[in-house]
Amino acid sequence: MSENILKVKDLVIHYETDEEVVEAVNNISFEIKKGEVLGIVGETGAGKTTTALGIMGLLPDKVGHVIQGSIELEGENLFDKSEREMRKVRGKKISMIFQDPMTALNPVKTVGEQISEVILLHDQCSKAEALLRAQKMLAMVGIVPERYKDYPHQFSGGMKQRIVIAIALACEPELLIADEPTTALDVTIQAQILDMMRSLQQKQGTSMILITHDLGVVAEMCDHCAVMYAGELVEYGTVEEVFDNPQHPYTKALYQSIPSLDKDVERLHVVPGAVTDPSKLPSYCSFADRCTEKCELCEKGDPECTEVNAEHWVKCFTYQQKKEGK
Amino acid sequence: MDHLIEVKNLKKYFQTPRGELHAVDNVTLDIERGKTIGIVGESGCGKSTLGKTLMRLHDATAGQILYNDVDIAAMPMKEFKKNYRSNIQMIFQDPYASLDPRMSVLQLVEEPIKVNNKKMSKADVTAKAKEMMELVGLATRLESSYPHELDGGRRQRIGIARALSLDPDFIVCDEPVSALDVSIQAQILNLLQDLQQERGLTYMFITHDMSVVKHISDDIAVMYLGQVIEKCPAHEIFTNTIHPYSQALLSAIPIPNVHVKKERMVLKGELTSPINPKKCCRFAERCPYATDQCRAEEPVLRELKPNHMAACHYAEQFVK
Repeated sequence: MSENILKVKDLVIHYETDEEVVEAVNNISFEIKKGEVLGIVGETGAGKTTTALGIMGLLPDKVGHVIQGSIELEGENLFDKSEREMRKVRGKKISMIFQDPMTALNPVKTVGEQISEVILLHDQCSKAEALLRAQKMLAMVGIVPERYKDYPHQFSGGMKQRIVIAIALACEPELLIADEPTTALDVTIQAQILDMMRSLQQKQGTSMILITHDLGVVAEMCDHCAVMYAGELVEYGTVEEVFDNPQHPYTKALYQSIPSLDKDVERLHVVPGAVTDPSKLPSYCSFADRCTEKCELCEKGDPECTEVNAEHWVKCFTYQQKKEGK
Repeated sequence: MDHLIEVKNLKKYFQTPRGELHAVDNVTLDIERGKTIGIVGESGCGKSTLGKTLMRLHDATAGQILYNDVDIAAMPMKEFKKNYRSNIQMIFQDPYASLDPRMSVLQLVEEPIKVNNKKMSKADVTAKAKEMMELVGLATRLESSYPHELDGGRRQRIGIARALSLDPDFIVCDEPVSALDVSIQAQILNLLQDLQQERGLTYMFITHDMSVVKHISDDIAVMYLGQVIEKCPAHEIFTNTIHPYSQALLSAIPIPNVHVKKERMVLKGELTSPINPKKCCRFAERCPYATDQCRAEEPVLRELKPNHMAACHYAEQFVK
């Protein structure tokens, strides 16, 4: 009916241990259209990776719980699927690239085996055919196909990340989730990988969720941008809107705290305090304790989404009041 | 000019089964008193080894390190520890790994004071440690907490307090903010700047993040495979980048601005091996401008403009 490929609605994820309940993801909703790239930015502990694991159905057993909400992939709720059915989705329809390429690969299998493993699992084909496709994938990510017989330790960090990407894209998934794909890499290698991801994404028309803490990467790669703080999406909009016209105090603070290459600043702007502990979230706006633009409503309740314009919303009382005041 | 540290033809080679690894190769640098020199480069270019060699955590293979005109590279370790160790301190990259998990915050800050002032009374040590905690913004209520209870920013503050507790003149900051979130990174960078102004500290700031290095440094040295390939005042590197590698490094940084579309210079390939390097320009294999001369002859670091040095055969054509 719609061109939305993924629709996340009112998602709440908690980690429950004997001592505490960590409210990792609190009531987030977003949609991704076909071919779109959504960037999720936020600091450590904001719940970015948990959201991704939730979509993949890979939350840690026993500890991670989806409390409410739904995740619809092409109209089907993923939470209604059995583990067996999920296995058919993972790798085929949604793939994930993990942050650390050094640990994401199996050290005792050749990279050719690891790429063809996905292909054999999802597509009916012979081993020889799978290996051939694996070699094609290697060529696509810029590695000499003859190296399919090599083991992960024989590759450098950047090349390992290329292999991880080759595995993720081997079955041409509809949605690719990349969790900090270049954080562990050097800038010149990061530039190579981002270039490659962009051209592959355009060629295959894959939709993508790019999780990162680097605003520069978002500006370069994404169509939409969601800012996450303490498990909530606090601002969402097109990249142009969020970068040029940020409304949430946290988003603004985030921009001001990074040293700029083209402006000279004597002192960096500092967000007071530390990231809110997700096991002790306040009943009101979770950013209020660090916020410099607080109003009287902020410590009374949780803000709702307020529209800035059709493609941009923000969760902030101060903005809400400013808008209503006009 | 008043140089606190002068590094002359410093070399640090490691013997490996495959041959000699040239981690730091013929580095010459002057570090001005009270200023910050930023060392940038990618992983494996020898920036940390350079820092550790200055600290004498590694012994130099050859070359001199003049600290206030005294060569500290050649002196016996005993003498160095007695007279110089406390003047030269280091802040490490990973505040998760560099602190003993079984020591409380106060114990961690007390440790270096105790080790270096054996005659100091216990009460004095504690008083000094508490003073240091206050200086770096660690609340006294945290003194009996353990590192695992604190966030990355606070842990890094412990590392800074430990380094400062010996009243050093010179601090090697080895990627002190790369493990931290941006909002915390800003706090730590501001703290380091405040401390520098208050105490007249000299920093060597090692990082791979160009925007951080621009913010904090007075001078910048770019390293590639063990060598300094460009050195100039911090703003110059952005206004007149000379060495092709520096150009590529700068163009690779993603800018958080949607309207800037950069002409990107994407390098081919990756770092070549630092083991038994050939006598040629070490960047030649990845350089888009490389010629036969680059593959045959090693360029030397030379001054092209006042205070601006680069090691490239064709540097002149990039000078503005």
